[in-house]
Amino acid sequence: MTGIRGAMLNLLVPALILLPLAAAGLILLLPPKRDFETRAVAIFTTFLTLVLSVILVLNFKPEAELFQFRTYIPWVSSLGISFHTGLDGMGVVMVLLHGILSFAGALVSRSINQNVKLYFVFYLLLVSSIFGVFSSLDLFFLYLFYEMSVIPLYPLIGIWGSQNREYASMKLTLYISLGAVVALVGLLSVYFMSGLQTFDLLVLQQASFPTQFQFWCAPLMIFGFSVIASLWPFHSWSPIGYAAAPTAVSMLHAGVLKKLGIFIILRVVLTLLPEGAQLWFPIVAILCVINVLYGAWAAMAQKDMKFVIGFASVSHMGYAFLGLASLNELGLTGTVFFMFAHGIMAALCFALIGFIYDQTHTRMIPDLGGLAKQIPFISVCFIAAAFASSGLPGFANFVSELLIFFGSWEIYRWQTILAIFGIVVTATYMLRMIRNVFFGELKPEWNKIEDARGFCGKLPYGLLVTILLIFGLWPSLLLNIIRPSTANISERFVIANVASANHRPNDVPRGGEK
Amino acid sequence: MNMLQNGSIFGPELGVLVVLIFHLLFDLFQKIDPKKFVRSSVVGLLFVLVTLVQLWPHTDLSLYGMFRLNPLATLLKGIFTLSGIGVLLMAGEFSEKLGERANDFCLIVLTALFGSFFLASSNDLITLFITIEWITISLYILTSFLKNDLYSLEAGVKYLIVGAFSSALFLYGISLVYGAVGSLFFADIKTFLATGTSSFFTVGFFLILAGIGFKIAMFPFQLWVPDVYEGSPTPVTAFLSVISKTAGFVALFKFLFLAVGTEWMNCPYLFLLLSPVTLIYGNLAALRQTNMKRLFAYSSIAHVGYLLMGIAVANRLGVEATIYYLIAYALSNSAAFLVIVIANRELGSGEISAYRGLAKKSPYLSGIFFIALLSLGGIPPLAGFFAKFLILNAAVMKGYFWLALIGAVNVVIALYYYLSVVKEMYFSTKQTGGSASGGKQPSSKDEIQLSTATRIFLFCLAAGIILLGVVQEPILQLVRLSTAALFLP
Repeated sequence: MTGIRGAMLNLLVPALILLPLAAAGLILLLPPKRDFETRAVAIFTTFLTLVLSVILVLNFKPEAELFQFRTYIPWVSSLGISFHTGLDGMGVVMVLLHGILSFAGALVSRSINQNVKLYFVFYLLLVSSIFGVFSSLDLFFLYLFYEMSVIPLYPLIGIWGSQNREYASMKLTLYISLGAVVALVGLLSVYFMSGLQTFDLLVLQQASFPTQFQFWCAPLMIFGFSVIASLWPFHSWSPIGYAAAPTAVSMLHAGVLKKLGIFIILRVVLTLLPEGAQLWFPIVAILCVINVLYGAWAAMAQKDMKFVIGFASVSHMGYAFLGLASLNELGLTGTVFFMFAHGIMAALCFALIGFIYDQTHTRMIPDLGGLAKQIPFISVCFIAAAFASSGLPGFANFVSELLIFFGSWEIYRWQTILAIFGIVVTATYMLRMIRNVFFGELKPEWNKIEDARGFCGKLPYGLLVTILLIFGLWPSLLLNIIRPSTANISERFVIANVASANHRPNDVPRGGEK
Repeated sequence: MNMLQNGSIFGPELGVLVVLIFHLLFDLFQKIDPKKFVRSSVVGLLFVLVTLVQLWPHTDLSLYGMFRLNPLATLLKGIFTLSGIGVLLMAGEFSEKLGERANDFCLIVLTALFGSFFLASSNDLITLFITIEWITISLYILTSFLKNDLYSLEAGVKYLIVGAFSSALFLYGISLVYGAVGSLFFADIKTFLATGTSSFFTVGFFLILAGIGFKIAMFPFQLWVPDVYEGSPTPVTAFLSVISKTAGFVALFKFLFLAVGTEWMNCPYLFLLLSPVTLIYGNLAALRQTNMKRLFAYSSIAHVGYLLMGIAVANRLGVEATIYYLIAYALSNSAAFLVIVIANRELGSGEISAYRGLAKKSPYLSGIFFIALLSLGGIPPLAGFFAKFLILNAAVMKGYFWLALIGAVNVVIALYYYLSVVKEMYFSTKQTGGSASGGKQPSSKDEIQLSTATRIFLFCLAAGIILLGVVQEPILQLVRLSTAALFLP
């Protein structure tokens, strides 16, 4: 019984990748001008993937082996490429995040009216490839899905986007692709240096690489993949990209895609090149503080709501990098949980801004005001999102940021203090935006705008707020799942520290020095 | 028995010959519509494909050792035939411009194809030279085929001068090699080099390399490409960029790996230098182009850079990657050029800005173009991606990390201009008055009608592009089996 059930569960992971692909093919085959059917297919498919990811989370056993639900199909055996999927704790959490957001994104795509068919084809391609990145245990397919997730963004932003879309979509695509190809050279070097003739991550993790090699290979991957996570100074594509993108794409991009970079660094760089990571992460820790402060200050100066949230997400990714750089279990667990919480929060913000924009056709803060009277439901959701964003207790973001700061405090004192200061700035610009948009005097031109109505109308926003609250009040639900996987990564560094300490007794590990 | 066997190894060549002569005679006695003419010759070439499949993976030597049949030759003939079908279909779409002589055009394409088959099977330098000339002379006629078009004539003259010059270099090189070795068979040259070398041979080596360099548009010999590509009738541009380029690379492979040998390869630094320079030159020049054919001219130079990277690595991995790349390139470029032929005809202009809103006029065409462009740009999960992946992998496996890094960064540069075309097709739906520089305004908002044959062929190409990018193993096996011939001891 359990054997069959286990086998079925294993198949769910490839199904997550294939279902959206199949749906994209189906939509292509639909005769033109069938907008209703197209939407129905897309919403149903993303709902199905959400259900599948919930089933996976519920069946994930934290105490059992690290990678579960594994499928292994040899693909190009001569090069050692295999279609190898499986999920560990952080993978399954990210799959859940993506499942939620892609469903919510499909729901809020109602405002797309032109060329609906093509829109959902690209959207579903994007959804499929992101599932691929989170579940691939083979470096080739990991890269393939990663690059595949970048390309649909170009038409999605370019065709259905708003201001400055041509420039924004090109900049975004080129930046992220540049990071990707640089990282590809790093991945290929790992394949070459291991001498194992395989791209299988689990096999490669057994190999050890010379320190010299790790020293120059790690930055290729760390900085290559951190472009998509908008690490300063590679962030400039991000705010304009979000501002130009249609709502659902901003949601997925800020919510999930941005996390791909950090996820891959966690999964690949930290496990394969631990020494290289240790050598370079002090620099990342400095850059990420610039991220936090620069992003926050830039957000203060913005008038366009989407730019505020865009810079806020640049700023917040700094926390994720700080947790990453701490390289201990607390920090890494915090990072993964933060990715989840921030993903939901950022997507919620963009969804709400999209709603407001559809009603008012402006996103400029000075043009708005007093909207709380007209659209109470949306206002409440937005205020909840803003609270979550500023790290108020009760929301998942608070817990995750706390974990990150606990983790980083041991190693990076000054950086942690500065990053915590960033939260104050976040609260300032978020609350200021709320005051100017939702309170004060209602301008006469907004007398006719309407609140979200009906179950389907409220569902995406309500769902996301509920999730933020649930995991904020009961974080151990996810933390228990995440912890084994991050513990597995951080153990490598404990061992590496001990090893280097044994080598050179005078060189005390940084953490103990302070 | 022996006769039969000898006869059957020429099956594909005979097939092309039969198609050629049949159409030649038919055309003499009865004028038929070019569209039908194209269709029947395409059907003939499909039969040739069947004979090729039957010959796989046969090995044989014939014509006093001048004709070698092996899997590599069969595979290359397959690529030539497929691209030939593409060029013929393009000629069909282009037939209004070719006018009365459209049928002659197809006949010359078939002739060149016939030559390319012998090139794929050549086993000594003189056959190599003759077959390359065969293709080149056909191209002299084809490039200047539009007698009333100044650009076409200019392209023809330029190609003639450059082609004749490079042939002279090539032939001079061959004569020097003959002087040094005393034989022109690849195997003899290899035996000669095993014992030592001579300055005669070295000069000959470089002259031959320069001759081939012109044909494939390798770096210092690439200046003719943009003008010739732009001026030629579009099917000829496709011919130049797919068949002629593949032919050049076949010659390069044969010369370098069968005759010179990997150990000697004179100076491996030569290709390590030429490859990135060609790559960067092509990509940077392509960035500012406004004409579609010129864009493809420069981008094809960039692709030569990648192909040379596989040769610079100078081992089996590199050659396999190069052949895979050639297949992916042939598929993607054939699809792209077929779309360009139709689009240029319908839009009345070859400027990139004229492609504005093509997605509205024909979602099918622009969809195929989108796939072809992304494949050329190297985006997964398409053929071009895996080809580039193999090339970069080969470079890294040899330890040339810096070369791989240059190749990788150039992917992004190329992505910029390929995506710019996508932008014109999809993003700009509104017609803005005088922005199309010089080009006519698109004649109508009607949807572009496609013939069934073109539709099917485009679909097959797109399916092939996706298949090669997703299910790589079978093709890789084919390529691996065929490249074994280049590395015989």
